[in-house]
Amino acid sequence: MSSDFEAYEQDFGTLTAEITNKIGRIPKLAGEEKTQLVLNVDKQLEEVRELLEQMDLEVREIPIQSRAMYNSRLKSYKQEMEKLEKDFKRSRIAYSDEVRNELLGDDASSSENQRAHLLDNTERLERSSRRLEAGYQIAVETEQVGQEILANLNSDREKIQRSRERLRETDANLGKSSRILTGMLRRIIQNRVLVFILGAIILLTIVLAIYFNLRGH
Amino acid sequence: MDNSGKEKEAMALMAEAEKKVKSSQSFFGSLFGGSSKMEDACDLYGRAANMFKMAKNWSAAGNAFSQAALLHLQMQSKHDAATNFIDAGNAFKKSDPQEAINCLNRAIEIYTDMGRFTIAAKHHVTIAEVYETELVDIDKAIAHYEQAADYYKGEESTSSANKCLLKVATYAAQLEQYPKAIEIYEQVATHAMDSTLLKYSAKDYFFKAALCHFCVDMLNAKLALQKYEEMFPAFSDSRECKLVKKLLDAFEEQNVDAYTDAVKEYDTISRLDQWLTTMLLRIKKTIQEDESDLR
Repeated sequence: MSSDFEAYEQDFGTLTAEITNKIGRIPKLAGEEKTQLVLNVDKQLEEVRELLEQMDLEVREIPIQSRAMYNSRLKSYKQEMEKLEKDFKRSRIAYSDEVRNELLGDDASSSENQRAHLLDNTERLERSSRRLEAGYQIAVETEQVGQEILANLNSDREKIQRSRERLRETDANLGKSSRILTGMLRRIIQNRVLVFILGAIILLTIVLAIYFNLRGH
Repeated sequence: MDNSGKEKEAMALMAEAEKKVKSSQSFFGSLFGGSSKMEDACDLYGRAANMFKMAKNWSAAGNAFSQAALLHLQMQSKHDAATNFIDAGNAFKKSDPQEAINCLNRAIEIYTDMGRFTIAAKHHVTIAEVYETELVDIDKAIAHYEQAADYYKGEESTSSANKCLLKVATYAAQLEQYPKAIEIYEQVATHAMDSTLLKYSAKDYFFKAALCHFCVDMLNAKLALQKYEEMFPAFSDSRECKLVKKLLDAFEEQNVDAYTDAVKEYDTISRLDQWLTTMLLRIKKTIQEDESDLR
């Protein structure tokens, strides 16, 4: 019985090796070849599954004492198969460097590309940091200019307040002076009226004196 | 622009004015309306001075204005005299600074007599500027700025007073009169803290005060810095405060390189002006001296 099992194991080994090989080749190919290879691998995976089922039946017929070892081997084979299936699925949608190169032109210097990229990025970073610093400088200068402007505004404010005060004082003074002037005017008129009255009285007295003189003769 | 023609006219006017003055001083002149003759003479002097100004003959213009001012003094019209002295001063500023200062001083005397301190203060500032630029006599300039600040304080114009005081402080610090400078900066800074418009300038004043403390003694600077931070919390965020702290550390360790690095770093962002460079250089020299002393 165990020899059967071992025969199965050998078959399993060869099949998995083939499948791995083919899975490695799939991403590099395209079109017809790819579909053929994919079908191939599918068939081989089916065979591997059948092998595993038979190995399972064999293990069941083995007496229980020595079953443990075979069980563990079987488990590891099953895991390997699952991994192969996963790899297979991934490989069908995988990307290979060669396909990429075919698309973007056969550039044997891909590492050069990467270096150029990195240098480019570093330069861009440096440029941005320089611009940030310049911006910061300008902001600081603006702040200083703002300070000066504020100080100027403050002093202008005081000047305006002072001028307003002085203007109010001047206004009051002007009012006072206009009152004084009207007073002066009034007094002048009064004086003139008095002068006229006195002049009239003196004239009257002179006329009366002459009259009485003439009458006395 | 017939300048020479204007000059000749002006000289003619001056001669006429002088004749009028002489005639008004004789007996008859004083009988028959001498004062109006003097007023005419003043007028003529004024016109002559203006013509000299057109001809750009500043000294002659200044002379004419001073003559007019003296006549006004004789006629007891102080206001006009003072105005003419100011005109004379302005004319002389362009040719003979010393004469200008004389005229301005006389004008200030008249104004202080009349009690017009604001204008007197303004002219003190003018004189101080002349000393600053043309005659380069910093002590006298400081004296005049101080006078101006006192007058302004008396007239309750604190912002103008602060302007003058700041100039005094700048020069005092340059001349190593640190206590005076420190006092002024602290005073102005405390005043600025309270005003909404000025509080953004307050940190600048604290920075300068801290630097002056530093020039005197490092321990002073540390205490002062703490005091300022307490008074004005926003100060601790400013770059200036951080710079001073770095400088203090460098000083403690007597590490000239760290000092230079900190200063250079600050310089890349905002240029250091001449005053700051001088002060920082002085502090740096003291570090270097200490180092060589220890060695």
